Amino acid sequence: MSRIGVFVCHCGENIARTVDCAKVAETLKDHPGVAVAEDYKYMCSDPGQALVKKAIEENNLTGVVIAACSPHMHEKTFRRAADQAGLNKFMCEMANIREHCSWIHEDKDEATAKAIDIGRTIIEKVKHNRPLETIKIPVTKRAMVIGGGIAGIQAALDIADGGHEVILVEKEASIGGHMSQLSETFPTLDCSQCILTPRMVEAFQHPNIKLHTWSEVEKVDGYIGNFEVTVRKKARSVDQDLCNGCGDCFGVCPSKKIPSEFEAGLGNRTAIYVPFPQAVPNQPVLDRVNCTLFKGRRKGLAKDACGKCKEACLKGAIDYDTEDTFVTEEVGAIVIATGFKLYDIGKDQPDGLKGYGEYGYGEVPDVIDGLQFERLASASGPTAGAILRPSDGKEPKTVVFVHCVGSRDPEKGMSYCSKICCMYNAKHAMLYKHKVHDGRAVAFYMDIRAAGKGYDEFSRRAIEEDHAEYIRGRVSRIFRDGDKVKVWGFDTLSGEQVVIDADMVVLATAIRPNDGVKELAQKLSVSVDADGFINEAHPKLRPVETNTAGVFVAGACQSPRDIPDAVAMASATSAKVLGLFSSDELEREPAVAIVNEQTCIGCMRCELVCPYGAIEQREVCTVDGHVCGHTAYVNPGVCQGCGTCQAVCLSKSVELQTFTDEQIFSEINALCAWE
Amino acid sequence: MTEPIYTGVDDLRRIARELLEAGDVRVIIGWEHARRGARPVFVSDPAETDKLIFDTRCVHNLVTYLNPRRDAVAEFGKIGLVVKGCDVKAVAGLLREAQLTRDDVVLIGVRCGGVLEENELPAALALTPENVAPRCYGCDNREPTLTDHLVGEPQPEPPRPVMTIDERVAVLDGQPLEERWAFWTDQFSKCVRCYACRQVCPLCICERCIVEKTQPQWIESSSHPRGNFSWNITRAVHLAGRCVDCGECERFCPVGIPLSLLNRKLQHIVRDRYEYTVSDDPENAAPIGDYRLDDQQEFIK
Repeated sequence: MSRIGVFVCHCGENIARTVDCAKVAETLKDHPGVAVAEDYKYMCSDPGQALVKKAIEENNLTGVVIAACSPHMHEKTFRRAADQAGLNKFMCEMANIREHCSWIHEDKDEATAKAIDIGRTIIEKVKHNRPLETIKIPVTKRAMVIGGGIAGIQAALDIADGGHEVILVEKEASIGGHMSQLSETFPTLDCSQCILTPRMVEAFQHPNIKLHTWSEVEKVDGYIGNFEVTVRKKARSVDQDLCNGCGDCFGVCPSKKIPSEFEAGLGNRTAIYVPFPQAVPNQPVLDRVNCTLFKGRRKGLAKDACGKCKEACLKGAIDYDTEDTFVTEEVGAIVIATGFKLYDIGKDQPDGLKGYGEYGYGEVPDVIDGLQFERLASASGPTAGAILRPSDGKEPKTVVFVHCVGSRDPEKGMSYCSKICCMYNAKHAMLYKHKVHDGRAVAFYMDIRAAGKGYDEFSRRAIEEDHAEYIRGRVSRIFRDGDKVKVWGFDTLSGEQVVIDADMVVLATAIRPNDGVKELAQKLSVSVDADGFINEAHPKLRPVETNTAGVFVAGACQSPRDIPDAVAMASATSAKVLGLFSSDELEREPAVAIVNEQTCIGCMRCELVCPYGAIEQREVCTVDGHVCGHTAYVNPGVCQGCGTCQAVCLSKSVELQTFTDEQIFSEINALCAWE
Repeated sequence: MTEPIYTGVDDLRRIARELLEAGDVRVIIGWEHARRGARPVFVSDPAETDKLIFDTRCVHNLVTYLNPRRDAVAEFGKIGLVVKGCDVKAVAGLLREAQLTRDDVVLIGVRCGGVLEENELPAALALTPENVAPRCYGCDNREPTLTDHLVGEPQPEPPRPVMTIDERVAVLDGQPLEERWAFWTDQFSKCVRCYACRQVCPLCICERCIVEKTQPQWIESSSHPRGNFSWNITRAVHLAGRCVDCGECERFCPVGIPLSLLNRKLQHIVRDRYEYTVSDDPENAAPIGDYRLDDQQEFIK
């Protein structure tokens, strides 16, 4: 026979204002199986908890119902109290009469009646609760960081400095990411490479960091503390153990006209190349798509059409026949730091986007995007830091900067603000004015969003000290007009049309999640938002966690981020990872599904629908060890207790331990049976 | 005009004999002629393979014998099964749901041009709009691909029945809610809860059916309208996206509940919402277990 204690909380006035708590306690005292029912002003306070504990001990209670707030709020508190009083903590349940009742109703009589109903359902549920134990899972104290930009590097360094091994996976030939392409950084105008490259080298040389460049995540198995990640190491054609980075190979490569990704298309590279001189590791990769030898092989030529790099390599490091290899890494935590790409705003767009054909990007050579301007302004760039326009290499005397190209424009681009453009536009205008003193910098903006330490001062400086002309308004059309680039705009403050004969136009195109993030998210069972950015677990309170335990997120793959934000996020993820690694075992609530092997027929529908990959097929043996069939098995380490398997099981052979069929049935019955 | 007796029976008998003689299978499950019409037969002696027939009376979906929980059948050993186009979809269903491996069974497909609605006849009849099983009209699997052997010549399309199932569903759909409710109340009130529909269904494969779960008992087991509604709707929903439209449930129902109307309506819903029709390709994942980025999610608010 159940002896259940019911404890009704007033939550100050929060519940008591609309629910007659004394009446709720009094009524529920007569519910079958209830041994004691009391109400109290603040049940979560020390005296409140003491009241619960005392009641458990004095009445030898078998179950406890706390009629108060949401379980998210105080379930832990009361379960701890129950535990201290000697009751299995999973025999304690919350009946939510605050969020589900008092806060959303006005009529006191009706709210009180509803609170009583809610109480009854949970009492009936608790009657079917069974004592459960927390689940313990071992933790592999190694982390994987996916993406070697500044966020990934920072996360890797922090975790490695914390004493744990880190696998850093980068899909390009070098780590560094977009930050390595930048000229100078706002709001201090320090040189991007000067602050980044020491970090890159530190990551490369760190005894705890293992680097996989030119590599991608192929497959992810396992769960928090116990992931098994297969990494595809793309064929590099260069033996990293032998190569000493001398550069003889790319000196002799005959394919010299390949647009360089690092130079944002403003410079060229060879087919065998290191992306930039400070690359880490400073070892080339062979781009097989553009290589003469591989082009020949694809055509089916009997003899290799080239081979110069191999001849030039004194170390014998080049091998044209290497293939993609796979390595499996066991890790306990994963950080996603895959970064961003720019909205390529040309006419032709995938994903149903419309692009901005009227801005002439991709058609007019002197209409460039922000990253291209960074390369022009960079001392290591194609112009060695001189601002020269791409079409004829002349110094532009009038440069127009256009904000919000594709951002804050649900019609043709993204509805969100790309966050960093206001700042980098101000920086670009400033850098330009510092280099071309007699030049004119004109910026078309919607609003100036310069929230951040020193940010507003910085953008004011661009206007006040460097005399950038800021025009509040949009640009309707950009087109080539002889030697000039004609910009048609509108000044909304003066209400006048503006026409500028510019020499060059820089478009602040929207930040988008990097290619392949959706696929990666699927492999990791994390969700992406409508714009394709990785979803965090809670927008305010769990900003660097994802919905998959053990998978964290840092930097611009979560939303547009500037460098300080990305670095802060990265350090936050490392705090989470180090916290996870601080104990040998993880404790988990037993809110997981279990399979009734007696009735499961192993149709594996549950495996198909499980969003966490927690379900697998397991063989069933007879007493003498002969395999006679199979059933589903839920791995309690992976299961997140969502209940999807329970919903699709035709024979009702799988259920959540904390929401069994019988408990749910009893709750429904409780609502139907009592008036 | 369909001939009452399909071609390829000689090949069917030869293949069956060879399979048994070679020891590739221990039993062939097919159809034979009996006093009251065609009926299932288990042939384990190669000399008896001449019993096997295939004509318009062979309505039975023999895949129900492949259910791994039919111990009596499993004891025979490896099975050779004679299947029509609709039947073979049920084999794909069992493969899809991990109840079989493809090597467990040898499938002898027969090219079928439709079967009769009433099979208990001393001799096969040619199909006419009046006697054809309505589900055969519009059959989309007259050239099965999953089979190991396929016998017979390609058959013409089955005749259009006097009233197709889709037309009957459309008539019901056109009625006001109260009339439809009255129709199904009337139908389900006849149900005696014999569970013949479940027993004969090749895809009702649960060891313990939900209706037999007693703690808690979600579906009342007595033959009462409330439990009858729960049972019949649960059965139909459990087959949504799985039902192969072999018509066995309706044929076996001793009180004549038109279950094919329910089944067909669910097929329409699954087709319209998920662009899915049941096929004989086991890799063609059913919508319940197939996640696509463009899945309709408007119900998530």
